[in-house]
Amino acid sequence: MGLSELLSTYGEKYLQGLLATWSMTAVSFVFVMALAVVVTVARVSPYRPLRVVGDLYVQVFRNIPGVALLIIIAYALPELRIVLDWRTCVIVTTILLGSAFGSENFMSGINTIGVGQIEAARSLGLTFTQIIRRVVIPQALRTTVLPMTNLLIAVMLTTALGSQVPLSPQELTGVVSYVNTRATGGILAFLVSALCYVGTAFVISLVGNRIDKRVRILR
Amino acid sequence: MSAARTLSMRDALYEAPGPRTRRRVRIGTMVSAVVVLLAIAAVVRQFWVTGQLAPRYWSLFLQWTTWRFLGQGLLGTVAVALTAGAIALVLGLLLMLGRMSGVRPLAALCRVVTDFFRGVPSLLLIYFFFFVPAQLGLKLPSFWMLTLPVALAASGVLAEVFRAGVNAVPRGQVEAALSIGLSRGKTMRKIVLPQAVRYVIPSLIAQLVVVVKDTTVAYVVSYPDLMQNARVLITSYDALVSLYLVIAVIYILINYAINKASVAVANRTGVKIVR
Amino acid sequence: MSQEQAAEKNVPVIELRHVDKHYGDLHVLRDVSLSVQRGEVVVVIGPSGSGKSTLCRTINRLETIDSGQILIEGELLPQEGRELARMRSELGMVFQQFNLFAHMSILDNVTLGPREVLGQPKEEAEKHALELLARVGVAEQAHKVPAQLSGGQQQRAAIARSLAMRPKAMLFDEPTSALDPEMINEVLDVMVELARGGMTMIVVTHEMGFARRVADRVVFMADGQIVEEGAPDDFFDHPRSQRARDFLDSIKGH
Repeated sequence: MGLSELLSTYGEKYLQGLLATWSMTAVSFVFVMALAVVVTVARVSPYRPLRVVGDLYVQVFRNIPGVALLIIIAYALPELRIVLDWRTCVIVTTILLGSAFGSENFMSGINTIGVGQIEAARSLGLTFTQIIRRVVIPQALRTTVLPMTNLLIAVMLTTALGSQVPLSPQELTGVVSYVNTRATGGILAFLVSALCYVGTAFVISLVGNRIDKRVRILR
Repeated sequence: MSAARTLSMRDALYEAPGPRTRRRVRIGTMVSAVVVLLAIAAVVRQFWVTGQLAPRYWSLFLQWTTWRFLGQGLLGTVAVALTAGAIALVLGLLLMLGRMSGVRPLAALCRVVTDFFRGVPSLLLIYFFFFVPAQLGLKLPSFWMLTLPVALAASGVLAEVFRAGVNAVPRGQVEAALSIGLSRGKTMRKIVLPQAVRYVIPSLIAQLVVVVKDTTVAYVVSYPDLMQNARVLITSYDALVSLYLVIAVIYILINYAINKASVAVANRTGVKIVR
Repeated sequence: MSQEQAAEKNVPVIELRHVDKHYGDLHVLRDVSLSVQRGEVVVVIGPSGSGKSTLCRTINRLETIDSGQILIEGELLPQEGRELARMRSELGMVFQQFNLFAHMSILDNVTLGPREVLGQPKEEAEKHALELLARVGVAEQAHKVPAQLSGGQQQRAAIARSLAMRPKAMLFDEPTSALDPEMINEVLDVMVELARGGMTMIVVTHEMGFARRVADRVVFMADGQIVEEGAPDDFFDHPRSQRARDFLDSIKGH
C-alpha cells in the first residue's frame, strides 16, 4: 500500500489518533503536575505518615509497568465496583505514573538549592512560608524545566497504552494496530504514527529548551 | 564539618523545632496518621464488600503449582529483559560512537536513529515486529517479536547515556592523549571509553527497569512471560484482582531491587549517576 | 527594653551564659559564656573543630543549644516563630559560602529582606540597597546574578544584604575561608570599615592580621571551651595558656 492510498483510506483515522494522543497528553500532564506538587508537599512535610505515604507512592508508581497498572485500573477496579470509561482509565494510569516521576524531579530541584541559602534566608528573618515562597519554589521550578519537558514527552509516549483498551477514537498506536488488522499497512503505516510522535516530541523539547535557556539559574 | 550539616534537603527546610512547633508537628503527625489509616480501612472495606477477600481468590497462592507457573513466566521475562538489554547495550554503544565519530553523514544518521527510538512508544515498535515481518513473509519467533523492539527502544536511551558518560570524561584527558600522539580512534578506545563506561554503569543498571517494564506487553505477541502466565492463571482460577495485584507487586519489587542495585553500585564506585 | 534603656544600663548586645551543646557524643560547646558590648568587635579564633563556628551559629539559633542562655539586648533568644524571625532580622549573618540566593539579581538579594521582613516599599529598599552596594564596592554588579560575580564580590554583596536590615550586630562565620587569597583583602577591608563605623561584630576567622588590627577583644577557643580572652596585643604577644601558645606557634610556622 502506497502513502497516498494509506492516507486516503485511513488519513482521517490518523488525524483523529493524533488529536486523541495530543488531548490525552495535555489533560494527563496538567494533572501530573498538580499531583506531583501534592505528592512532593507530602514528602517534604514534617509529618512522618505523609512522608512515608509519599515515598511509597513514588516507589510504587515509578516501578510498576504501565501495562500492569492500566490492566489493574481497567479490569481489576470494576471488580471492586469502581468503573471508569476507557479513556479515563488510560489518563488515570498516565497521571499516576507521571506524577511519581514529576515528584522525583521536584525533589531533585529542591535538593540543588542547598542548605546555605535556606540558612541565609532564615538569618534575614524570613518566616518558613516566606522562605518556601521566595527561595525554594522559584528555584525548584526553574531547575526542573528540562526534566519536566522530558516528562511531558514520556507522558505522551505513555498514552500509547491506549492501544491496549478499546478506545474511541483510538490514539496513534491504536490506529496502527487497527490499520494493520484490516490491511497490509507495511512499514509506512507505522512510519506515519511514528513521525507524529517524533515530531511532537521535537516541538516539545524545542519549546522546553527555549524556556530553560530563559529561566536557567547560573550556578 | 559537623553532623548537623549533612542532613538531607527535605529536613533542612525545617529548623530544630521549639516547644510550640513540636506540639504542632505532633498533632499533625497524629491527624495524618489517622487519615492514612482511614484511607487504608476504606480500601480494605471496598475489597471486603465486593467479596474480593474471599479465600477462593487467594488460596491459589498457597499452591506450589501457581508459583511454579509464575516462576516459569518470570524466567521468560528475565530471558527477554537480559537479551534485549545486551542487544541494546551493543546497539546503544554503536549509535553513540557513530554520532561522535566526526563523520558527518554517519553522525547525522545515528542521531536521527537515536532520536527516533527515543521518541516513539515501545508499544508501537512491538506492533511493528508483530505485523510487518509477517506481512513480508518472515516467520519471527514470539521471543524475538518481543525482544527486538524492546532492545531498539532501549538502545536509543542507552546511546544518550553513553554520550553523557563520554562527555563526563574531562576534556584535558583527550587533549593529553592526542598530544602524546594517540590517534582519535585509539584515544576513544583506550582513554575515553573505559572511563565513560565506568561512569555510566549505574545508569545502565537503572535502564534495566525500563526494559523490564517494556517486556510486560509480551501478551501482544503471546510470549509466555510473567504477565502472560498470570493471564493464563486468571482464566483458569477466575481470580483477576488478586492475581493482577500480586503480579504488580512482583514487578514493583524487581524494579525496586534494580534501582537499589544501581544506587549501591554508584555509591561503591563513587560515581554520580549520569543521566 | 528599648534600645536607649539597654544602652543606658550597659546591657550587652549579645550575651551567652553557660552555653552547652552536644552533637551526639561530641561536646562541641562546654559552658561557654561571652558578652559583647555595643560597638565592640570580638574576634573568635581557634583550631578547626574548636566549636567557634558553632558558637557563632547558635547566636541566631541556626544551631540549637542544650542548656544555658543566649540573650540579645537582655532578651532571651526566642525558640521559634515570628519572635525568633524578628530577632534574627536584627542580627546580620555572613557565611563562609556567601549563600546568596542563586535565582535573584544582586539587587534583589539585598532588597529581599527589607521588603519581605520590614515591609519597605520597593523604591526605598532599592535606593538603600544601591547605597550599600556602592559602599562595599559592587554597585556595578547590582543587576547580575551571583554566579557572575567573583567570590570576593559575592561575599561583599552578602555583607550588603545583611546591612540592608540595619542590624544591631553582625555575625561573621569564617567570611574569608572560601576565598582565593587575592580576594581576601577586599572583604576584610569592608569589615574594617564596618568596625570603624561602630558596628557591633563577632568575627570567627583565621585572619590573625585582621584580629590584631581590628579586634577590641580576642577570644581563643579550643575543644568547645573559651580558653582565654583578652586585648589582641596581650593575647598575641603574651598568650597565657599552653593551648593558645601551641596554636599561635602552629600558624606562625608558615
